[in-house]
Amino acid sequence: MPVSTDSARYTAWLERRCAVLLQLTLGMVLLACFSTLSFAAEENDLAGKVKDPGTQLWNEVRQREGVLQGTTQVAGMDSAVLINVDGERWRQFRMQQLIPAAGLALGGILALIALFHLIKRGVPVAGGPSGKYLHRFPDIDRILHWSVATIFIFLAITGLILLGGRLLLIPVVGDSVFGALASASKEGHNLFGPLFILGIFGLFIRFISKNFLASGDIGWLLKGGGFFAGKHPTAGFFNMGEKIWFWAVIVIGLVISATGLILEFPFFGQTRSIMALSLVLHGVGAVLLIGGAFGHIYVGTAGMKGSLDSMTTGYVDLNWARQHHDRWAAECEANDEVLSQSEVARAQGRSTLGEVPEPVIKGES
Amino acid sequence: MTEFIDGPLWYFALTVFIVGVIWRISSIFFTGKKPDYSVPRQASTGGAVATVFTRFIPRRDMAPKIRIQTVAGYMFHLGLFALLLFAAPHVAFIEHHLLGIGWTPMPYWAFIVASQLAFLGLLILWLHRVLNPVTRLISDFDDHVAAILTFVVMLTGCLALMEGFTGLRVLHRFTVELLMIYFPFSRLMHAFTFIPSRAFTGAWFARRGVDA
Repeated sequence: MPVSTDSARYTAWLERRCAVLLQLTLGMVLLACFSTLSFAAEENDLAGKVKDPGTQLWNEVRQREGVLQGTTQVAGMDSAVLINVDGERWRQFRMQQLIPAAGLALGGILALIALFHLIKRGVPVAGGPSGKYLHRFPDIDRILHWSVATIFIFLAITGLILLGGRLLLIPVVGDSVFGALASASKEGHNLFGPLFILGIFGLFIRFISKNFLASGDIGWLLKGGGFFAGKHPTAGFFNMGEKIWFWAVIVIGLVISATGLILEFPFFGQTRSIMALSLVLHGVGAVLLIGGAFGHIYVGTAGMKGSLDSMTTGYVDLNWARQHHDRWAAECEANDEVLSQSEVARAQGRSTLGEVPEPVIKGES
Repeated sequence: MTEFIDGPLWYFALTVFIVGVIWRISSIFFTGKKPDYSVPRQASTGGAVATVFTRFIPRRDMAPKIRIQTVAGYMFHLGLFALLLFAAPHVAFIEHHLLGIGWTPMPYWAFIVASQLAFLGLLILWLHRVLNPVTRLISDFDDHVAAILTFVVMLTGCLALMEGFTGLRVLHRFTVELLMIYFPFSRLMHAFTFIPSRAFTGAWFARRGVDA
């Protein structure tokens, strides 16, 4: 049975080969499975340990350790800084501290003025109107004052819209209206800002000679200007309160002007950090001046009867001058500068009765 | 509202402005005057031409008293003239909507300087009008409306400078249209009458031999 024996041996050989092949295939499949499983497990283990390249890049450019300069062919300040982390700190400070503090300060000043007015009801002219007058401010001073006042009020309104508008106005007027309002405020603010610089320069020139410290000024300050109790302290042409306001306008006005120019003309090499600091100083200075202006407006109108006349007609009542600026009033009286009602009326183009006489036209009855 | 302001109201304002100005000027020219039979001392033409130019400078004896008005007046009028004819948006508007031709507008920095001069000049002039006893006495409602309307027109124009918001542009155009409607019936007409007025005065004075 050689044939059958050969056939059986061949079959056995084939079966052994198939078995080996099967075992090898099975082994390879199992190896592949184990390899895959073990690689996946290894990858899962490394997932929390190896940084994602995107995250790594993001952390690099955030520059948490400070502002790092890269390299770029783009010319310009800060162009080599992709993201300045100080900008985020500034944004947080502006939104969370500066704006609420500004609102609190201005609201507090208004509340204090209202409380003071409720208690004191304004200071009347002692002895009432005398019917005699002193000339206090010429035309040029009053035009200068009201020019600066108009520009300042415009800048204050537009500045406050830019400072707190996103927080306060968007919920009221909506995004699109606020967008237009903010754009208009920005253009107007930038346009009128340089005029304010001219204004404070004019104030400085016109009023500095009367705003140096003089005897009696410290006493005026210690007595609180006589606002709260007692006799009105002695004062010259300007009292100490007015002098403080004058120097505040000049000094803070210069700070606001300088920082405003840094912000408005960002092409003199100032960095973003300097501009952020300028914006903070600009805002703080502006809030101080606006708060001071609230007090100035109150004292000049309802807070002190007769004060407004000095800036509208240019003349003040003699009793008002004796009460608030006694040394100046005494000087004027000594120099024979007291004017009668008719003299003031004539200078104002009015008759002594306070009315302009009707012109008489020849031939008309 | 935008379509109304850009469309019918604009054409109405333009019509009122053109017809009103022509009517006012022609009413002045056709009013006539009594014939002057006196012997003329000088030729009146020379006086007319000279006075048109000499009145640009205040008289020497008056100059110190009207320094504020002179300086502020030039600031305002030159600034407004530059803004009106050389501001880039105005040049584009004139080219595309009025004349069909344009010219080189002034640069941005010049626009800013011109508008600041115009604003400050107008503000000072109006404050002088209100605060000075003489000018206050001779001013009436028309003077204040004209000054305030002009100020508002300039202000809305500058607030719309970014040209990114239709609302701001339309607001400016609306105030311009109000001014155009008001213009012929107000003292703003001096923009057209100051030259014939000076010429008439100069001619009359020259004929009579008055050195003024």
